[in-house]
Amino acid sequence: MTQLRSRISPIALVNPIFLLLALSQLVSSTVYVHWSDSQLPAASSLGVTDIVFTWKQEISPLVATARRQGYSVYVETTISQAKAAAAEGAKSGWTGVILEIPESESGESKNRVAELQTAYPKLRFRLLNRGGKQPDMRGSLIVKRNSVLEVSSPTAQPWIDSNLALIKVDQRSRRAQVPLYTFSWEDQQQLRTLSPDEYSLAVAEAGAFHADLVLQLDEHLQHALNDHDAKAWALWHQVQSMLKFSVDTSDALEPAANVAVAVDHLEATDEVLNLLSRHNIPFQVFLAADLKAEELQHFDILVVFSKPDTEIGERIKDLATRGKTVVVVDAHGSYPWQNSQAVPENEHTTSYAVGSGKVLELSEAVTDPEIFAQDIRRLLGKRNSLLSLWNGLTTLAVPYRDRGGTVRLVEFVNYAADPVRVQVQVKGSFQSVRYESPERPCCESLAPVKHDGFTEFVIPELRIAGRIHLEP
Amino acid sequence: MRSVKQSAAVLGVLILCFSANGQNSENPHLVYKKKYIMGTVFEIAAYGESSQTVSSAIDRGFQEIVRMDDLMSNYKPESALSQLNRSAHFHAERVPPDLYRVIERGVQLSRLSEGKFDITVAPLVNLWKAALAGDSTPSLEQQRQAQACVGYDKIELTPPDQITLHSSCLQLDLGALGKGYAVDRAAEKLRAAGIEDAFLNAGGSTIVAMGSPPGQSAWLVRLRDPSHKVDPYVMLKNGSVSTSEQTTRSLLGRDSPGHIIDPSSGRPVETRFSVSVIAPTGSMSDGFSTTLLLLGPQQGKALVNRTRGVSAIWLSPKAQVETATNGPRILFGGTL
Repeated sequence: MTQLRSRISPIALVNPIFLLLALSQLVSSTVYVHWSDSQLPAASSLGVTDIVFTWKQEISPLVATARRQGYSVYVETTISQAKAAAAEGAKSGWTGVILEIPESESGESKNRVAELQTAYPKLRFRLLNRGGKQPDMRGSLIVKRNSVLEVSSPTAQPWIDSNLALIKVDQRSRRAQVPLYTFSWEDQQQLRTLSPDEYSLAVAEAGAFHADLVLQLDEHLQHALNDHDAKAWALWHQVQSMLKFSVDTSDALEPAANVAVAVDHLEATDEVLNLLSRHNIPFQVFLAADLKAEELQHFDILVVFSKPDTEIGERIKDLATRGKTVVVVDAHGSYPWQNSQAVPENEHTTSYAVGSGKVLELSEAVTDPEIFAQDIRRLLGKRNSLLSLWNGLTTLAVPYRDRGGTVRLVEFVNYAADPVRVQVQVKGSFQSVRYESPERPCCESLAPVKHDGFTEFVIPELRIAGRIHLEP
Repeated sequence: MRSVKQSAAVLGVLILCFSANGQNSENPHLVYKKKYIMGTVFEIAAYGESSQTVSSAIDRGFQEIVRMDDLMSNYKPESALSQLNRSAHFHAERVPPDLYRVIERGVQLSRLSEGKFDITVAPLVNLWKAALAGDSTPSLEQQRQAQACVGYDKIELTPPDQITLHSSCLQLDLGALGKGYAVDRAAEKLRAAGIEDAFLNAGGSTIVAMGSPPGQSAWLVRLRDPSHKVDPYVMLKNGSVSTSEQTTRSLLGRDSPGHIIDPSSGRPVETRFSVSVIAPTGSMSDGFSTTLLLLGPQQGKALVNRTRGVSAIWLSPKAQVETATNGPRILFGGTL
């Protein structure tokens, strides 16, 4: 179980709907296990306390059994079934209801959830994002059903399928709750039992990204666990060590980012966000309206994917004047920074020097997110890189900061599963660098090398998950 | 030329006879595995009579690629190549047979291309690598100094396994050959384990096809098409395909250094072409794809025409197509 304290932003507290939802989140968040088999091992054996069943307008006898076996019971249902599920849950002593609500329907649905929370104050209501993907290091070959193998990805570098962008978007769209997501395993017809590494990677991601996960267990595994199959339990014990590792996640820290991305619509499927994640560029997602806020002062680069109105145009100019680099994408029009001299960078981009900063106008949509992410990394330059990795092509690293803005924790996920030796550079001067992982309990001191405002160290062997604690 | 082949540009679709509910002798077992080695994802899909046998053969193939990486990596200070680059100046060093063979092929290719491809390009690659990572563009003086350290004719090969570097700053780079050779070695391991039909993929940039899928005459491999209009493909049986392409230009920046360096200019080669090469082996297609990208279509066609078993296609984002055929036919408009 991950035990992560909810983070409640002041903006969330202004809204009564968010307030109600936020109050429901003051307890720890969790890796929930979704169960569908007709029997269930005891919670103490499974090492899991939060179990999820799908609500099908009737109560499975297993739900009552689960409560007796020590589980906190949740049911997953749609907004249209939520009222009936909540009524049954309140009567039967369930812990909560997990609701799938598409972002497009979020306004009205959130009102209904708030009403339900008022009517059933003892139940926890969680909003679930089903848009997750199976975390994976992809190759170019895809084994398909019906006997087809396809060479599909024109890249020699490993392609990482991660849920980091989804979580970043959720952190903005549902500020009142820790992001909760799930995904379906790609082998839908389950010709094989999933490996412990596949489950562990899913758990490691949720823990490293400080998000909650509804983990789908494949039916073969559920069945085998109920049958006391030794191989199945050996597999699950490996997953349990990853679950245990996630418990210790520090909870008083916020994600660190120095790139702000402003969008009109919160779409986690946007490849630019995926590629920024893959290149370990720490970013935070904003809506265009957020650009008026003062909090953007803490960012070095602002990437704007929305068409600026007059007020936002002035704000962009103001930020550039104060030394920021602003990239405005595919937003044709007249803007205040255009009073400065236009310098063509290439056939697509024009640069305007504004104060001590600059505005770059890209005249078209991003055609190659990979190159765009590399460009953002170059624009940041070495001086402003919060985090750099060597030998980290299969690794995502997420930094977290304290209230003073100092990075204190970095979470690592290696999607290759084979151990890698990763060299890390973090902005800031740190006296102590301590490393922990499921294989190396907290904590092993690593030798920091400090120079020029940065601290370097080497993680000797990162398998799937690892965590670095930094002390200034 | 480059330290790591990054372009990865072969697209393909392979139709396999694979029963979901178990296999018999007419429908052999398919096993697919992948592993991160040499900074990319190697994948092997292979058929055999028992999945355990195939799986074990694939593992041996991967072990062989790991062994090749330990020999030829220029990132690992303890690799045989790194040791050679440190210590073989002005005296003969004995090297492992695999490393000797790859260097020997690299020198042959350097001669064939009259230095347009040069196995000693490492000083220039290292210089431009920093620029690619965000540092400033190297000065002309820096380029000139690095260029002075390049020259395949300063390598002396003494069979069966000794190498001398006749320059104090000579450094070898196997980025354009190593993955192809490693895939060839892995294919040999599969053959030794009794596997006849398999498909080995080094990150998409080099593919080796053994035999054919059950019920098919060959593996259908789609080739990289930056225009998305031409749709070239080959039917590959016991052969290899490699693709090279210069790094895509920056969207936001002025100068965009690429990772493939032209030894004759000392700068990243400026070309929009993607080059795919079909050849009998992975090491051959791998080395030729970089060489033909550097040579361009005009000189490249001449080289293909005097090299038996090789075919090549140059394709630009604007659908300009140039081909040279002295081996397998390149087909167009394949419907899959």
